[in-house]
Amino acid sequence: MRPGPSAAGHAVGSAVLAFLFLPVLAVVPASFNNSSFIRLPPQALSLRWYHAFLADPEWLRALGTSVSVAVLATALSVVLGLMTALGLDRAPPRLRASIVALVLSPLIVPVIMTSVALYYVSRFVGLHGTVLGLAMGHTLLCLPFVVINVGVALKGVDPNCQRAAEGLGASPWRVLRTVTLPLILPGLVGGAAFAFVTSFDEVVISIFLSGSQAKTLPVKMWETVRVEITPVAAVASTLLLALTVLVFLAVQIARKSNRMGRSYD
Amino acid sequence: MTLVERSFASLETGLLLLPAAVFLAGWFIVPLAQLLLLSLADPRGAAAPYAELLGNAVYRQIFLNTLVLAFNVTWICVLLAYPTAYLLTRLRGWLLGLAVYCVLIPLWISVLVRTFSWMLILERNGPLNAVLVSLRVLERPASLLFNNTGVVIGMVHVLLPYALLPIYSAMRTVEPRLLLASEGLGATPLMTFRRIYLPLTLPGVAAAATFVFLLALGFFVTPALLGGIHNLTAAMLIDNFVNERLVWPLAAAASFCLLALILVLLLAASRFLQFGQTLVAR
Amino acid sequence: MPLEFHAIAKRYGNITALWPLTLSISAGEFLTLLGPSGSGKTTLLNIAAGYLDPDAGAVLIDGRDVTLLPARKRNMGMVFQSYALFPHLSVFENVAYGLRVRRRPAGEIRRRVEEALALVRLDGLADRAIRDLSGGQGQRVALARALVIDPAVLLMDEPLGALDRQLRKHMQLEIRRLHREFGRTTLYVTHDQEEALVMSDRIGITNEGRLEQLGTPRQLYERPGNAFVASFLGESNLLFGRVSERNGGWACLSLPDLGINLRGLVDVPLAVGDEAAALLRPEILRLRPDGGDGIAARIAETLYLGELIAFRLELPNKQELWSRRMATESWPSEGTEVRVGWQPEDIRVLPISANQTRE
Repeated sequence: MRPGPSAAGHAVGSAVLAFLFLPVLAVVPASFNNSSFIRLPPQALSLRWYHAFLADPEWLRALGTSVSVAVLATALSVVLGLMTALGLDRAPPRLRASIVALVLSPLIVPVIMTSVALYYVSRFVGLHGTVLGLAMGHTLLCLPFVVINVGVALKGVDPNCQRAAEGLGASPWRVLRTVTLPLILPGLVGGAAFAFVTSFDEVVISIFLSGSQAKTLPVKMWETVRVEITPVAAVASTLLLALTVLVFLAVQIARKSNRMGRSYD
Repeated sequence: MTLVERSFASLETGLLLLPAAVFLAGWFIVPLAQLLLLSLADPRGAAAPYAELLGNAVYRQIFLNTLVLAFNVTWICVLLAYPTAYLLTRLRGWLLGLAVYCVLIPLWISVLVRTFSWMLILERNGPLNAVLVSLRVLERPASLLFNNTGVVIGMVHVLLPYALLPIYSAMRTVEPRLLLASEGLGATPLMTFRRIYLPLTLPGVAAAATFVFLLALGFFVTPALLGGIHNLTAAMLIDNFVNERLVWPLAAAASFCLLALILVLLLAASRFLQFGQTLVAR
Repeated sequence: MPLEFHAIAKRYGNITALWPLTLSISAGEFLTLLGPSGSGKTTLLNIAAGYLDPDAGAVLIDGRDVTLLPARKRNMGMVFQSYALFPHLSVFENVAYGLRVRRRPAGEIRRRVEEALALVRLDGLADRAIRDLSGGQGQRVALARALVIDPAVLLMDEPLGALDRQLRKHMQLEIRRLHREFGRTTLYVTHDQEEALVMSDRIGITNEGRLEQLGTPRQLYERPGNAFVASFLGESNLLFGRVSERNGGWACLSLPDLGINLRGLVDVPLAVGDEAAALLRPEILRLRPDGGDGIAARIAETLYLGELIAFRLELPNKQELWSRRMATESWPSEGTEVRVGWQPEDIRVLPISANQTRE
């Protein structure tokens, strides 16, 4: 298409991209506010709210809880997700469709509904306000991404590679260990990274499952922000933002440097 | 493979799929089933909570507001996403990489952080108002927060990438040669767009619209933080039922009404679309 | 070691991939399965390798029934069309894979891998990454990987399909050289008839799940068993008609719209009244000046092929015949009316429908 309508389209497009990306950065300068309420742009910069964050045991505990929950949720998702993806690869079509639907269903059901249902059940089984309960709840949302990522990676493996290994005498376990797993590792790591970030950032399920014992960082933020907006919340936001961006960039870099040729034509 | 080996293979497949299936059954399906039972366990009768939801004007209004909000967010998202996706198809090299990051990174960032940023930007003394006043667009700072405007802006911001990806995906499948052929046959750019490009990208638009609409229906955090007392969504209502008023049957019934709404729309949409690819795009 | 298929059959739902097929490959023989896509040749190869189970029949290696044996226990070397090299391993590790599985000592592995690489003329490339290999090099690594384990049988599934013409011709000769040097039983699958002719001791023509004919390249070319084989191997002209006479080793084919009875050799049971085809190889057709003996025809097109000239001849009933001869100083031009003649003993009368010919 020639310019004309395109030029206007380009302008709108660029504006939209800026709109997508820039507002999120607002939390960064806000966290460096010198005053006790947030002014954007800040009148004076200082690190006092970072000190406040680090000095506050509640915020630190929330950070620690988030890390524990995210690590556990990632581990759960990776183990379950890897096994499921491998199983789906060999499953007959009908079984595969049902399992895929089952795995994806937590993404379709509104999160509030899942949270409420889990809230009710978790109190009965004593998992309310525990790291395990939270991690399991997060896994519901993280698992689909691991399954999809690993599934896509598996599709990218030439099935003849596995046959070749088999023909050369390798047992199925050996084929998995020496051929399949190394080839899907990038997909697995990407899925794990996304699972970690998803769990760390998760809000709604955490609100309902945290109780008073296991508040994650987003939950503490939620409570703070509903009452009054202090710069400490901006600090917490900036930390969340920094973590997410770092993990994202790490995954991109790892992907670029690990471009293994699947063919040589 | 012998018969024994063949049955072992099926057993292995089953064992691989079992853990996730058990986990999902126990920690997802069972709680939801329990919730359904709760919705039917009202002492006034099984259908009572549902009747109350549908009969009460306030509750009906909230569901209606949720639908209207989702609808508005959807058409704005699609309208903004279309030219942006087109821009993405024209970019190359590092510019394309940068643009893609602009779309993907917000997807990874917590919805709480994103919503919070808007709270900071939209408030009365905030930067947006300051800029608009200094540019003489406004005389006084406008009330952009704790009302519908704020909620829509915030939700559009959060949901825009979900509209972008399917539309971009659909645009990429359009062969540039088709457009060249159309021009070669004498069509103006507008005609080419209307007759060739738009119809070919329409499935992506439909997928985007469906995606955004269904996600918007269930939104909780963004309307809760950016909206005012008149901007209750169905999700906020459910939260209210559980945390404030402790009326579980109503909460459960409202949840299933919301789910029913979503499933009906999903079924209707899946008649015309394929969702597999859009989910993988993420 | 010899490889035998006894009455191997395979079905996919309603579709029969292989009708009961029996085939014996002697020790050290290079046998090619030649046929169009979907004719069952790759299916048979996969059954030999153990990647597919037959619905009926048995596979024997050196007299031992391996039908129920899983692929990893059959000690066969397989070369895939897509090479299926392990992208995350180096060339050395790819070739060494089978030896590592067999737990050979490190010194032996190193020696044998280097020998195998030298054999396929890839010495010095042991540490290269797979993605840095050219198509031809990748193919040779795949070959080395299959050979290094000293397999009972070598199986090759259209391995040269992805290569350009020059490279393909070169690799055909390489594979032939390796076979002559080591005499390993080889089952080769291709749809390229020239490839089959160059490399094989025997060729089996497959079509729609059946073995149409089995024989040496010369046998198949000079005495094709039916019209399908004739048209698949070499250039051919086929004229279809009915058998009007049958007399010992001769038959007459009646071609009503040309108004002639074609006489030719026949060595299959064809009776009077059967549908049949007459095979006229382009090189047996003689062009004579108009007015002489033979069928009237017009040269519709001449193609200069370097060492050969091909003539597209149009017959009075609009049918076409292709004729070829060496390019000499001059040849008739397009539009010339000529007469086409031949020796009756150069014509073969063939059945049309699929028949299993005993070798």
